[in-house]
Amino acid sequence: MDTPAAKPNSRFTAATPGRAMLLALAVLLGVGGLSQPLGQALRQQLQQQALLNPPVDMGLRGNLGQMGFAAALGGLRSLVASVTYLQAYRAWELVAWARVDSLMALTCTLQPKHANYWDEAAWHMAYNAASHYLYNESIEPWVRGRLSEQYKAQGVAILKTGLSHLPQNAKLWHTLAEIYQNRTHEPKLAAQAWLKVRDLTGQARYARFAAYQLAQSQEASDWKTAYAMLRQAYAKADQRTPSLIENLRQLEQRLNIPYPQRIPEAAPTLEKDPAEFGPIR
Amino acid sequence: MAHLSRIWTLACATFTQLLRMRIMAFLAVFCVIVVAAGLGFAIINPEQQLKLLKDVAFGALQVFSVVMGICATALLLPRDLEDRTLYTVLAKPVPRLNYLLGKLLGVLMTIAVGMLVLDLALSLMLYLRQNLVFAQAVAALKAEGQDSPQAVAQLQAMVAQQGLGWNLQAGVLVIFLKSSVITAMTLMISCMASSTLFTMVIGFLATLCGHGQELIRETFLSGQGVALRQVWKTLLAVITPDLTLFDVTDAVINGQSLGMPALLGIAGMSLLYVLGYAMASHLLFVEKEL
Repeated sequence: MDTPAAKPNSRFTAATPGRAMLLALAVLLGVGGLSQPLGQALRQQLQQQALLNPPVDMGLRGNLGQMGFAAALGGLRSLVASVTYLQAYRAWELVAWARVDSLMALTCTLQPKHANYWDEAAWHMAYNAASHYLYNESIEPWVRGRLSEQYKAQGVAILKTGLSHLPQNAKLWHTLAEIYQNRTHEPKLAAQAWLKVRDLTGQARYARFAAYQLAQSQEASDWKTAYAMLRQAYAKADQRTPSLIENLRQLEQRLNIPYPQRIPEAAPTLEKDPAEFGPIR
Repeated sequence: MAHLSRIWTLACATFTQLLRMRIMAFLAVFCVIVVAAGLGFAIINPEQQLKLLKDVAFGALQVFSVVMGICATALLLPRDLEDRTLYTVLAKPVPRLNYLLGKLLGVLMTIAVGMLVLDLALSLMLYLRQNLVFAQAVAALKAEGQDSPQAVAQLQAMVAQQGLGWNLQAGVLVIFLKSSVITAMTLMISCMASSTLFTMVIGFLATLCGHGQELIRETFLSGQGVALRQVWKTLLAVITPDLTLFDVTDAVINGQSLGMPALLGIAGMSLLYVLGYAMASHLLFVEKEL
């Protein structure tokens, strides 16, 4: 069609064919050149504020599948993580622990800044999977014990990875302390974790929890530390719980604290016969 | 003033044209998905329920804005050429720049309206869900005798962090800014291309590459020398915009606050890309034989 509107602008035809194309390319080069330093500065600012996720690990490619990888690449990482989380939930219902582990690992890698995923992944391994294998009578007893310990260690490893992304997250330190205390029975490590929770939350009771763990250690130096911490807590009336008094009385005996320096309270008596308590899990 | 008036008229006409194409019909599908996400999955814990709702809603927003930005823009020029509307408009005379800016603005208005509808659906579902979740959690605490003021306050803080807030609206704005970059880029491709399909395919590929820029840089350019790396990075920046800078929605969904400096920085990058692509579109369109 040969209308005036159909003809290109006369400034760019005849004498300078393709000049507009070259100018367009120059504009794009300018935009590209300008966007680089500005983009880099913005990226640093956003990363400092922890607003950007790290790049997707190429190793995830096989686990995500084509659509999942494209979706994750398309800025839908949070949605893909939610889907894999639901898949892990389903796998948990079916008691498929390897699948739970792999799906939760994928979920955590897609959303490393979401503490709940790390917490739940560790819970599945250190509690659910470990207990499942420990009480599974269809497996040989010596294998049961080993599997249980492996899954507990896996739970610890998951939390440590999570803490590398979220070092100031009190919830993850809390879960780690509980696993060391209740599952792997490592009192010194549990005490360190409880003290970290105390530092992050400012709540004094976590110092007591750390002291209770140190009191269970085999080393006398830990007992002395625990005694000092518990005496400090004892000074505040609202912290004089039965556990505190029980532990103080035990430590006073172990450390041979002179009688005038001991606390006046008697050791609390149990209302229930220990034989009536269930098995410790 | 006359230019602005022409651009606005063309923008409104484009908006009406896109509405008539019933592109917004599949907006209803997205709204249904958001509502379903809000009502379903009652078995998972309360915090995760709220997060899932936000994940689905923001995913729907992203998909809608990208698909609209690419498909609607790719259709515009070929449709006007086919209907001979383009010749009528340019013969008025309307400068080609005004025509392009009007089309761009029209598509952006359509995306904005669609996103507003989705945002309202998300906000409503989230508000209802967070109240329900909070009430159920408090009832559960009461049943166990654990409803101390501290526990309820902690629960309230969790719901406030994961629930409805102004921060979510900032996240929606960032998605719109990203889609405006994609729309401008697609318009530029459309000015060079000869078919709608070609524009759509290249548009989607460029968008995917834009999201994978950081990954491409880390994976393929890490072993190169400094000078060569800089050349490749500039070429990469020329071919596609760095869309990873707009991926702050994950942090927003997790309850993190998107401060004004970050928002202004993202808006600035978006403006740079949109102006650059609009200028390049004009230069390409001005020489195009229609």
